[in-house]
Amino acid sequence: MKFVRQLGISALALGLGAPFAGSLFRAQPRVLDLDAIARAIDEGSDHVSALQLAEWIRDRRPGLRVIDVRSAAEFRDDAIPTAENVPIDQLAKAHFARDQTIVLYSQEGAHAGQAWVMLRSLGVTRAVFVPGGLADWREEVLHPLLPANASPAERAQIEALSHYFGGSPRIRAEQGIDVASAAKTEHRSRRRGC
Amino acid sequence: MNDLLIAGGIGVAFGCALECAGLGDPPKLAGQFYLRDFTVLKVMLSAMLTAMLGAFWGGRLGVFDPAAFYVPDTYLLPQLLGGVVFGLGFVLSGLCPGTSCVALASGRIEGAATMLGLFVGVLLVGLAFPMIEPFYRSTPYGPMTLQHLAGLPSGDVVALVTVVAVSVLAWIAKREARP
Repeated sequence: MKFVRQLGISALALGLGAPFAGSLFRAQPRVLDLDAIARAIDEGSDHVSALQLAEWIRDRRPGLRVIDVRSAAEFRDDAIPTAENVPIDQLAKAHFARDQTIVLYSQEGAHAGQAWVMLRSLGVTRAVFVPGGLADWREEVLHPLLPANASPAERAQIEALSHYFGGSPRIRAEQGIDVASAAKTEHRSRRRGC
Repeated sequence: MNDLLIAGGIGVAFGCALECAGLGDPPKLAGQFYLRDFTVLKVMLSAMLTAMLGAFWGGRLGVFDPAAFYVPDTYLLPQLLGGVVFGLGFVLSGLCPGTSCVALASGRIEGAATMLGLFVGVLLVGLAFPMIEPFYRSTPYGPMTLQHLAGLPSGDVVALVTVVAVSVLAWIAKREARP
């Protein structure tokens, strides 16, 4: 009983000390570091291709967090596997850990790029975006156009990645498959949006 | 793999703690609903208190990053209905999901029956999901926490919750000490 009482007193002391310990979340500087942003854009460290993202997801890269910044309805319609939906107007309220790699995407990349700047202004530095968004995902990962001069090993690699995510590669016209259907697929997969 | 090992270790420790507290015993759990046995309340309150103080002070002392904690989104009406279904199942079977695993592991048939019901329920909800999805996603409020609701700093909320929890635990201890 004495031990239980001591535990209770310790809990009370820790609890009553909490208001004097300050905020749980350290205040993050909300100042845009324009030099760092310009450097990241110049070096290309601000973005990642859909293909690279697919490899990260397949390889279960530790700390990877894929964020879909489109609306909930668009997210329900189609999304990149493992992605979570944080619409762009909710982004400032979300919490991101320092050791996480945040990958942002939207329909065609514009909103994801803007979201990337928002995250930088919130102090989230380990963020990148997919420039072509979901459209690139469909064209580069789900239904990539196999190059005519690709080696069997390269083709096998592209096919394996595409099949992994439930897609199927398209083949160029000179290899016997109708290019019109490929163009149609390409046209269909590019939807209007950001 | 490392994460799985850690999760497995935490799961085993959680199961041991539940069994040691006697929460694998359905009459003991059902006793809480009839205010005969306060073990569930004591275990839950002390667990929440420990987790809250650990999370707050661990974050403040830089042991881990509190921004990494996942706060699930609130969907008020579906979660209220879920709470009612959960509570009914709890009082009917005398077990909740965690304690049903513990009861099964310690050889109680009630544990097996509850887990079977749990899996059947999960399967039925999964099959009916396209139909119930609009309700499932209705009344969304995003991640809700006490400090956001009360508009108070997290330290003040920690202090308030601690005072309430320790007072209730002290009251239960006093009540149980009566002959």
